[in-house]
Amino acid sequence: MMDEIERRPRQRLLYLHARTPSVYSSILGLTQIEPVAGHTVEIMSEDPEWPYKTVHEALVDGWQIVQFPHQQAPYDDGDLDVVGYEFILQKIEVVE
Amino acid sequence: MNDSRNADFPPEHLLSDAEVARFVTHGYHVVEPPLAAGLNESIAIKLDGMTTNPGDAITDEIPELSQVLDHSAVKGVLISLLGPGYEVKGHRHWHCKEPGSTHMQWHQDSTNNRDISINRFLGLYYPRDVTADMGPTVILPGTQFRNAPTDRMATYTNVKGQVPLMVKAGTVAFTHYDMWHATAANHSAVKRHMIKFLFGRTEDNTQPTWHHQPESLEVPHDWNARDKAEDVNNILSFANPLGVGQSDHYKERGIRRQCWDQLMGTAQ
Repeated sequence: MMDEIERRPRQRLLYLHARTPSVYSSILGLTQIEPVAGHTVEIMSEDPEWPYKTVHEALVDGWQIVQFPHQQAPYDDGDLDVVGYEFILQKIEVVE
Repeated sequence: MNDSRNADFPPEHLLSDAEVARFVTHGYHVVEPPLAAGLNESIAIKLDGMTTNPGDAITDEIPELSQVLDHSAVKGVLISLLGPGYEVKGHRHWHCKEPGSTHMQWHQDSTNNRDISINRFLGLYYPRDVTADMGPTVILPGTQFRNAPTDRMATYTNVKGQVPLMVKAGTVAFTHYDMWHATAANHSAVKRHMIKFLFGRTEDNTQPTWHHQPESLEVPHDWNARDKAEDVNNILSFANPLGVGQSDHYKERGIRRQCWDQLMGTAQ
């Protein structure tokens, strides 16, 4: 039963926080979620690997965008909120 | 003009104009006060042996902590950024990152009621060396003026520009109250201790309270130096510790300038 589940394609997720809503802008932050039991993410105290410099590089590598950031920048010039613009991407594939 | 109330204070322990400007833009400043020999280790050993957290009473449990707060290198930062009437608030807390504990996600303390002024900030004292595997505090410079509910940070993990505070025993890191911060996991067999202190302003500045040199404000914009600038105007204009987009960066510039003017005592 477990083997069957493991051979089924599953959803990998990639959260990319980009400098602007453009897929060509540079990435400021990255979170990768693997559909594997017990998988966790970790804030690193040493330089993490940055597999992509832009969202576009992730697209070239086969990731698909499932949620685009809001295209409208906030108009309030006196307030700042979250860092960057969040793209959520997926790959559906068999994960070893 | 410098604040005359600082006349008897050793100027080498006051911050420079550039250091104050960098606190405004980056939200932190780190000092390594040369504390009495053995003090850090004795505090660390006491903390190792504590089984309950006394909360605000940590300074009653370990009175030697007052030696950290009384050191001129620490006082100099507090006077520089909060004025000679600065207040050591009653809230303080021992944070013990136990071996095997996981990372703590990004968050801002308290609720989303941010202040563009520097009226309060934290002092994080580490009595023992903090190495990469000991679960250092991780800060995100430049986020101190953002008003972001912590729940909206849940999808961030590693962010370019994050700074893990891997520090020597005795270090005090002063961090803006509203800066995004987190901790890495402790993969070591050692408890990572940190005592957090909270400091506040008691009166608005009417003049600079640091080691101010008026000519340091006269440096014209240098479009070549940009984020390598070492003077107030260029630091306030060009520092972009996270490399955020143009819209955010322009907003940051405006907020920084308001903050700087309040520190100078020249705000309208």
